[in-house]
Amino acid sequence: MNRFVKFLSLFSLCLLLGVSCGGQRSPNPTSNIGSAGRVTMGTTLKATTLDPADAYQLFPGILLSNMGDRLYAYKPGTTELVPQLATALPKVSADGLTYTIPLRTGVTFHDGSPFNAAAMAFSINRFMTNNGAPAFLLSEKVASAKASAANELTIVLKEPFAAFPALLAFSGVTPVPPKAYESGAGKFKPTTFIGTGPYKLAQFSPTSIRLDPYAGYWGEKPANKGIDIQIISSPANLFNTFKTKGLDIAYQTLDPDQIRSLVDGAKRGGWQVVEAGTTSTNFMTLNMKSKPLENVKVRQAIAAMVDRNLLNQRVFQGQAELLYSLLPKNFPLYKPIFKDKYGDGDFVKAKALLAEAGINQSNPLNLEIWYSSNSTVRNLVATTLKASIEQNLKGIVNVIPNTIESASLFANLDKGTYPSTLLDWYPDFYDADTYIQPFMACDKGSVARGCEKGQSQLGGSFYFSDRANELIKQQRAEQKPEARNALFIKLQDLLAEDVPYIPLWQNKDYVFAQSTVQGVAIQPTQQFLLWQIKK
Amino acid sequence: MSSRSTALRYYILSRVLFAPLMILTITSLIFLLLRATPGDPVDVLLGPRAPESAREALRTQLGLDLPLGVQYLHYLGTLLRFDLGTSLTSQGQSVWEIIGQHFPATVELTVLSMVVAVVVGVTLGAIAAAKPNTAFDVGSRLFGIITYAVPMYWFGMILQLVFAVQLQWFPIGSRFPLSLQPPPQLTGLYVIDSLLNGNLEQFFASLYHLALPSLTLGILLSGIFERMVRVNLKQTLKSDYVEAARARGIPEARIVVAHALKNAMIPVITVLGLTIASLLGGAVLTEVTFSWPGLANRLYEAISARDYPVVQGIMVFFAVIVAIASIAIDILNAYIDPRIRY
Repeated sequence: MNRFVKFLSLFSLCLLLGVSCGGQRSPNPTSNIGSAGRVTMGTTLKATTLDPADAYQLFPGILLSNMGDRLYAYKPGTTELVPQLATALPKVSADGLTYTIPLRTGVTFHDGSPFNAAAMAFSINRFMTNNGAPAFLLSEKVASAKASAANELTIVLKEPFAAFPALLAFSGVTPVPPKAYESGAGKFKPTTFIGTGPYKLAQFSPTSIRLDPYAGYWGEKPANKGIDIQIISSPANLFNTFKTKGLDIAYQTLDPDQIRSLVDGAKRGGWQVVEAGTTSTNFMTLNMKSKPLENVKVRQAIAAMVDRNLLNQRVFQGQAELLYSLLPKNFPLYKPIFKDKYGDGDFVKAKALLAEAGINQSNPLNLEIWYSSNSTVRNLVATTLKASIEQNLKGIVNVIPNTIESASLFANLDKGTYPSTLLDWYPDFYDADTYIQPFMACDKGSVARGCEKGQSQLGGSFYFSDRANELIKQQRAEQKPEARNALFIKLQDLLAEDVPYIPLWQNKDYVFAQSTVQGVAIQPTQQFLLWQIKK
Repeated sequence: MSSRSTALRYYILSRVLFAPLMILTITSLIFLLLRATPGDPVDVLLGPRAPESAREALRTQLGLDLPLGVQYLHYLGTLLRFDLGTSLTSQGQSVWEIIGQHFPATVELTVLSMVVAVVVGVTLGAIAAAKPNTAFDVGSRLFGIITYAVPMYWFGMILQLVFAVQLQWFPIGSRFPLSLQPPPQLTGLYVIDSLLNGNLEQFFASLYHLALPSLTLGILLSGIFERMVRVNLKQTLKSDYVEAARARGIPEARIVVAHALKNAMIPVITVLGLTIASLLGGAVLTEVTFSWPGLANRLYEAISARDYPVVQGIMVFFAVIVAIASIAIDILNAYIDPRIRY
C-alpha cells in the first residue's frame, strides 16, 4: 500500500513536471491555430441545438447559414435579397397570399440525397409542425407549403405579409433531407445537421465544432480547408487565447475593455480588427400603465434626458452607435427622429416637459429602471443615466436602478411589473417589420386602458394606438417598396410622438483575426460567412 | 460472527435503505424550488416578445401546462425508470447524453486535483508535524490558512495570467487543443482514452490541458489536508506507542511515515471522500475560469435557462454520487478504525 502511494505520488509529480516543462516544445500541442489551411475560431456563444426547426439563437443561426442554404439570402456585403436555392424572387399573387418559387436543380444534401421542392416543402412544414422555439415565425403566417412541381414550391399565407421573402432568409428555413429528419412535435436532432451548404458538420461537442468543406457543393467552394470552432466559457479566456495566438479568429463576446485593448494593440500585436454595425438594437421600454409614465409629457421628458453621447463615451468607450429610432441605422429608411425631436441630454426641454406634467422639486419623479442582472453593460448604462439625470435635474428626478435575473425579468414584463426596462432586440429576419410590429402592434386594447393583449403588452410597454395598428396592417399588405417605406416613416414619427420606447444604442460587432487570415467580414445583416475566410 | 460486524452490517443496511429516501427528498425539493423560481423555460427559449399562442403551444408540448402535482408524478415515474428526461434548450438531447458528455471532464479534473491536493497537503502536513515550531512548520501553517482563505476564481485567474498568458507554459483553457482530434470516446476520460488508443501525443496534450486547472484546484484544497494531517500527526506523535518506538531506537522518519502517519490519516479519508463527492458536483468556478466543459458548468447554464429536466437530472446524479460516497466512507472508516462503534 505504502509503495503504491509512493509510486502514485512520484508518478503524478513527474508527470506534472514533465507536462509543464514540455510547454515550449515544438509543435506546441496547445496551439489551436489550425493546420493546413484550416481556420480556428473562438467564441463564447453557445450552440444549444443545430436543428433548424428549433435553433433560435445567434450562433446556431450563423452555423446553419454556413452549413445550409435558404431559398433567399443576402448578397455578400449588401442588404440585397437574392435567390440562393430559389432561381428567382417569388411570384406573388394579386391578393398577396400565394408565393410561387422556382427552385435550383442539381443541388444535393450532405448525405447525397437530392434537393427538390418536396424536400423544401417538407422542411418548411417540419419547421412549423415540430413546434420548436422559432416555429411561430412561419406557423402564424403560412397556411400551406407544397411542391407544385418537381422544382417549384408554392406557399400560401394566412394574410398578406410583404416581408415574407426576407423571412424565408431566416437561418432556420433551411432545407433538410426528409429521409434523415422526422416531422412531428418535439422530434429534433440537436447535435447533427445535414443540409445543402458549403460546409458539412464534422464534429459537434460542447467545447468544439468542426466544419469540413462539402465537396459536392453546388455553389462557390470555401476558400479554406475547414473551420474549427472552440467554445470558450468566458470573454477573458477568449481575449487571452486570441492574444497569445491560440486562435485565428476571435468572435463574440468580448467586454468593452478587452475590445479597446485589442483595437489599440492591433498594430503591435499583428492582428486585424474588423468592425461592423449590428442588427440588434437597445432601448428603454416605458410602461404606459405605470404612473406617472401614462402621461406622454413625462415620457417625452425622459426621452429628452437621455444623453446617448455620454453613454457611448463612458460605457462603451466609443464602441456603440447612437440610435434614434427603433430601426437600426443601416436601414435606408432609418429616421433619427428622436435626435430631431428630443436631442441628447436636453435637460432644459426635459424640465419644461416635466413642469407641464406637474413634476417639480416638491413633486419629484421617481424613475425605476429595471434590467437584467447578468448584463454589466446595462448596469453601467443605468448608473450613468442616474448620475447624469440627477446631476442636471437635481431634486426633480430620482433614478432608481434595479436588477433582476433575466428569466424573471422576461416572466414579469407582460404583467406590468416594471415602470421602465432596458432591453435589447435581435431581429428574426432583415426587414423593417421585425423592428416595428413586435413593439407597436396590439391586438386588443384601447388608448385609455392600454394594450391588453398583443405584442406591446408582451414587451412591457402596453402601448396602444389605432393608427399604429392600421399603419402596420397597411405596410404588411403593401407590395410596392416605396409606398411601404413611406408607411414606416409615419410609424417612426408616431413612435417619437407617443414615446412608448426610447431607442438608445446599437452595438458594434467586432471580429479580431490574426494577420495570416484574409477575407474576414461581418455582413450588414450580421451574418458571418465563414467560407470567405482564407488562410 | 462478532457483535461488531453484525452492528456494522445493520448500519450499512440502514444507510443503504436510507439513501433512496434522501435522494427522493433532494429531488422533490429541487423540483419544487425550480418551479417556485420566477420565469419558466418558455420565457427563456422564446424571449419576451413571442406571441402568446406560440408560448402556449410550446408550454403544452413541454408539459409545463399540466398541474404541478401531475408534473411531479410524471417526473417521479420517469425517474423510477432511470429516465432523466430530455433537455428543453437542446430539444431531443437526453439528460443522460448530457451527463455522458460532461461528467468525464469533471471526473478527470477531480481525480487529478485530489492527487495534487493529497500529495501536497499530506507531505507538507507530515513534515510540519515532524518538525514542530520550526520555520517550515510556520510556513506550512501559513500555507494552510492562505489556501483555505483565497477565493478559487481569483487564484485561478492569477495562475492563468502568470503561467498561461505571460509565460505561456500552459494553455489558457479548454480540455483539448483544436489542432488535434480528440481520442475516440471509450471512457470519456481523455487521459485514459488516449492511452488506450496508444496515442502519446493525445495523452500529453490532454494532460497539458488538465495541468493548470487541477493544480489550481489541488493547491487550494491541499490546505485542508495539510491542516488535518499536521494536527492529527502531532497528536499521534505524542502517543505512547510512538514513544515506545523511539525508545526502541527506530529512526524518526520511519516512525512518522510507517507508524504515526497511518493512524493520522483516518480522519483524512473521511474528508477526502466528501471532498471528492462535493468536487464532482461543485467545481463550477474552476470549470468556468478554465473553460473546462464539466458537469457543474453545464448545470450552471441549465439553471440560467430554466432547463428543468437538465437541472433535475444533474442534481439527482450528484445526490446519488454523494449518497454512495458517504456510505462508502462510513464503511471504509469502520473497517480501518476498529474503535468506531455503531
